[in-house]
Amino acid sequence: MIINSVLSFEFPPINELLRWRDVVPGLNKVGLIAVIAALVGTLLFLSAARKDPKVAPKGTRNLAEVGVEFIENNIIMQTMGRDGLGWTPFLLTLFVFVYLCNVPGIIPFIQMPATARMAIPMFLAVLVWVIFNVQGIKHQGFFGYFKSVLFPPGVPKALYILVTPIEFISTLIVRPFSLAVRLFANMLAGHLLLVIFALLSEAMFQARDKILIPIGVLPFFMLVFLTGFEVLVAFLQAYIFTILAAVYIAGAVHPEH
Amino acid sequence: MLTVFVDINSVSQVRVSFDVVSAETGAEEGAPVNAGPNPIAPEMKELVWGAGSFIVFLFLMRLFLVPKVRKGMASRYDSIRGDHEYASATRDAAQADVARYESAVAEIRSEAARRLDAARQMLDKERSEKIAQVSAEIAKRRSAAEAEVAAARAAAQSQIVSAVTAVTTRATQIAVGVSPDASVVSRSVQQAMEGASK
Repeated sequence: MIINSVLSFEFPPINELLRWRDVVPGLNKVGLIAVIAALVGTLLFLSAARKDPKVAPKGTRNLAEVGVEFIENNIIMQTMGRDGLGWTPFLLTLFVFVYLCNVPGIIPFIQMPATARMAIPMFLAVLVWVIFNVQGIKHQGFFGYFKSVLFPPGVPKALYILVTPIEFISTLIVRPFSLAVRLFANMLAGHLLLVIFALLSEAMFQARDKILIPIGVLPFFMLVFLTGFEVLVAFLQAYIFTILAAVYIAGAVHPEH
Repeated sequence: MLTVFVDINSVSQVRVSFDVVSAETGAEEGAPVNAGPNPIAPEMKELVWGAGSFIVFLFLMRLFLVPKVRKGMASRYDSIRGDHEYASATRDAAQADVARYESAVAEIRSEAARRLDAARQMLDKERSEKIAQVSAEIAKRRSAAEAEVAAARAAAQSQIVSAVTAVTTRATQIAVGVSPDASVVSRSVQQAMEGASK
């Protein structure tokens, strides 16, 4: 009987979970989250920048400095070396923006990561794609860059028939696609999991059959666990997106690496 | 806003319906949204707001915020580095002072030891000289005393010999009526005394 109840649970079409009414004409919830993310990031760094840098940092100043050092030490120095420190503002902005777009997925009453929609991941991935190609051409020249991308050194010439199309597809087509889809799909999957367990918990707690009510604790515990897990995923996806952007730019600027 | 209606009339029928209306479809509130574009496909308004927000945020971060935070960090790190260097220099100076002090103490200790050795040697020498001097004086006085004793003994012995000679001579004269030769008696007494002393 319980199994029949659970099996008869109807999950709404995915379109209903992801598409939102406009808050004001031309601006829906996802757009609003992106605006708030940029605003929160700006206010955080504005507050940090206005504090006295001579004293020991605390509060927003400490948070901003931890962010700067995290990007410099754990991303730039690991992938680009000291020469890449000029990319700190871009990579820090990318990390903070993606993280602040991810986090609303677990904030009560907002509960929607802006990156669970394709628009923002796609824009950021295309931006990274444009940047690393422009940087590659700038540092190696047009022919030099495409030669290093399409004809990697050390490969026997006979294999270029196989390697060149693979490199063309993987570097110039799959990279932005995988970068966008990785972020989007992870955040969408997390969002759907939270929806599933929230709906299942609610349905069980409100069931007329009293035997279902205590069983509803199980999906509720899973909901709590997954909410905690999404905190980690939000950070991890922002980190992965940023470090891959750094790796792509470093690879285009220094192909020997 | 996502609104969830749960209608559970029986255990075998759990139905959940959602009231979400998409702006693209223009559907009214309360009607389910299944129609419209692919939910995975990006919406233009989300793209515009997301891209616009990011570009403005990047512009502010690139031109104002990160350089200002970074500058503050650099100035504090420079200050900390300066303080650290000053502390290192002070520590090095203190260590040099300690080394100098220890060197001076070692030198003074060495000088003190050297002076002690010299004083000890001088005292030993003086003591040896004094001992030798006193020993010589003692030996001199002893030999003088011995000479005096020998002289006294010889004088006493001479007096005893002359007295015994006189007594013996007189006793012999009384006994036999003849006075013996004094030199013979004296020699005999001397031989007797020498024999007794041996």
